[in-house]
Amino acid sequence: MDKKTLLENGILEQYLLGELNADQCTQIEKMLVSDAELKAHFDELEEAFETIGLENAVTPPALVKSKLLKDIKTQESPKVVTLKKTNNTKFYFGIAASVAGLLMIGSFWMYSQLNDVKEQLQIVEMNNTELNSTIEVLNVKLKENNASFNAIVNPDTEQYILKGNASLPEAKVVSYVNHKSKSVIINTERLPELDAEHDYQMWADVEGVMIDMGVISKDKTIMTMAYIDDAESLNITIEPAGGNDHPTVERLVTNVYLR
Amino acid sequence: MQNDNALIQQLKNKDERALSVLYDKYSGAIYGVIIKMIRDEGKAQNILQDTFMTVWDKAESYDVDKGRFYTWVYRIAKNKTLNVLRKTDPLIQTDDFSVHINKEDAISIDAEYLELNGAVKKLEDHHKEAIELVYFKGLTHREAHKEMDVPLGTFKSYVRQALKQVRETYTKTLSLILLILNAL
Repeated sequence: MDKKTLLENGILEQYLLGELNADQCTQIEKMLVSDAELKAHFDELEEAFETIGLENAVTPPALVKSKLLKDIKTQESPKVVTLKKTNNTKFYFGIAASVAGLLMIGSFWMYSQLNDVKEQLQIVEMNNTELNSTIEVLNVKLKENNASFNAIVNPDTEQYILKGNASLPEAKVVSYVNHKSKSVIINTERLPELDAEHDYQMWADVEGVMIDMGVISKDKTIMTMAYIDDAESLNITIEPAGGNDHPTVERLVTNVYLR
Repeated sequence: MQNDNALIQQLKNKDERALSVLYDKYSGAIYGVIIKMIRDEGKAQNILQDTFMTVWDKAESYDVDKGRFYTWVYRIAKNKTLNVLRKTDPLIQTDDFSVHINKEDAISIDAEYLELNGAVKKLEDHHKEAIELVYFKGLTHREAHKEMDVPLGTFKSYVRQALKQVRETYTKTLSLILLILNAL
């Protein structure tokens, strides 16, 4: 765009009336700054338009001005204050939000850690109880075994073997009798298993009378039985589960005479 | 002008008195343009207030070197009025100006507001119409030449000549006043 085009094509008028786009405006503004003659011409145009405007003025109602000035006052005072305020509050809100955010993340982390620790503690406690009970069981067993062992290896202990009779030939029970400490221990390893309704029961024969020495446990191979004074023989019968008051002699499976 | 520059500087510094003085000086001319363009007193008053509100808010962006204060305010007012017109009647956006014209007839407004006065009034009809279309109706040159049904080049020369004549009338009056002043 050159000066001549500007002057002759009514472009300055269009520029004045705000019809041109931003690019064209910048171009013209540059030319106006650099060219005094052009600027003078433009000033004449502006003057003419302004004259037309002023000559065709319509006085607006006074209300518009008073409203304008009122609006400016109400817009102005809160504008400055609220701007600062919002900035400040925004700033503090930002800090508060960050702190709250960090706290929340921290709490969540701690909470999850706490839960983990709780779970682990529970597992440890469970293991501990298990171990304790195992130890108890082992202790009991150890005591029993020790007792049995001591009883068996005691020099005063005598060994009697009860061999199965014709009704139960495969049976073999080893008994350890100590007349000094008055104890009887038996090994039932070779005693055939019975059904759930029957138990083996041991009896001592004292002058023809069978005295109960106890029911033989199904889940132990070494066990202590009651020692009966002056027993002449040891006998084992098959009895209803839980034992009997009197031996069922027909179901005697083994016996041995004590010397 | 010198006076204006001082006022404008105060306006940029958010001096309410400066706004008040500039309003008193230019609101009439601006209101005249708005009311001729929108032909509705209530809307024209709102747009006028809105225009000076923008003048107050955007005073910082006004550059004295780029043109007169009046030109700047005129452009703001014109844009605001055109926006309101576009919102009111979407048909305005099209090139069919018969809608624009018809709509004008429908609105009753004091005819006095629409009459042209001063130097423009003395212009030949086609010159007057050219100025009226671009200046008081807010049409672009491209829209206005179609409205007048003359080639764009011809329309542009109408505007140029009209402005020249206005300027001449103005200088004549001015020199006459100067003569009288001198004679006194």
